[in-house]
Amino acid sequence: MSYQVAKTVTNIFSGTAVLGVYLFYASSRYQAGLLVMDDLKSWAQIMLIFIGIGIAMAIVVQIIFHILFSIGLAVKQSIKSGNCNDQDIERTIKLEMVEDEMGKLIELKAMRISYITVGVGFVASLVLLFFDYPAFIALNVLYISFYTGGILDGFIQLYYYKKGV
Amino acid sequence: MGKKFEITNNIRKLRFFADEMTQQQLAEKAGVSRQTIIAIEGGKYSPSLELAFRIAHAFGVQIAGVFDYRVVENKKNS
Repeated sequence: MSYQVAKTVTNIFSGTAVLGVYLFYASSRYQAGLLVMDDLKSWAQIMLIFIGIGIAMAIVVQIIFHILFSIGLAVKQSIKSGNCNDQDIERTIKLEMVEDEMGKLIELKAMRISYITVGVGFVASLVLLFFDYPAFIALNVLYISFYTGGILDGFIQLYYYKKGV
Repeated sequence: MGKKFEITNNIRKLRFFADEMTQQQLAEKAGVSRQTIIAIEGGKYSPSLELAFRIAHAFGVQIAGVFDYRVVENKKNS
């Protein structure tokens, strides 16, 4: 698995995990009666907390991923060449982690799909408000569409890395 | 009958004649990732003009020696 693919899989994993935890937490609190439909302030508070958790988790997961990936490369390099030359290992890590034009193009294409998903979520939330659905549902649809866009972005990237651009 | 264009390349052959240069070595010389070299070699990605020149330079040949642009008949539209 290449660096780009592994990084994308990690992003999908962290995005899905945060979304899953949010859905579980919000629905369990709602069912327990701790969150009321009209109390948008509480919903906003939970969403803000989860945005913070999402950012922190993305950073932590990326750091852990880079450490593990570097260790994996170092082990592979030392097995391949038979020695543990730090300079060789550093060079291999640098080469593997290079971001080039194909990566940027794939990122742009995936981002376009991600924007479309968020746009669809926004329109869907407006439609829900228009048809007199509670505001918290519209807010959740909008919030979930952001995460879905991010996760979809990852899957689109994986698709382009496999099938080509 | 419709016409379709495709870009083919001789990277595998050129690597063989360059003392069996590895994809990693070529990637290093061209300043891209190995993943990109694999995609170009497999015809899954058409590189930018700049990258095409860098790959040609890595082999010490002209760009036309690496890439070929040809017209193929599209039988589906016939």
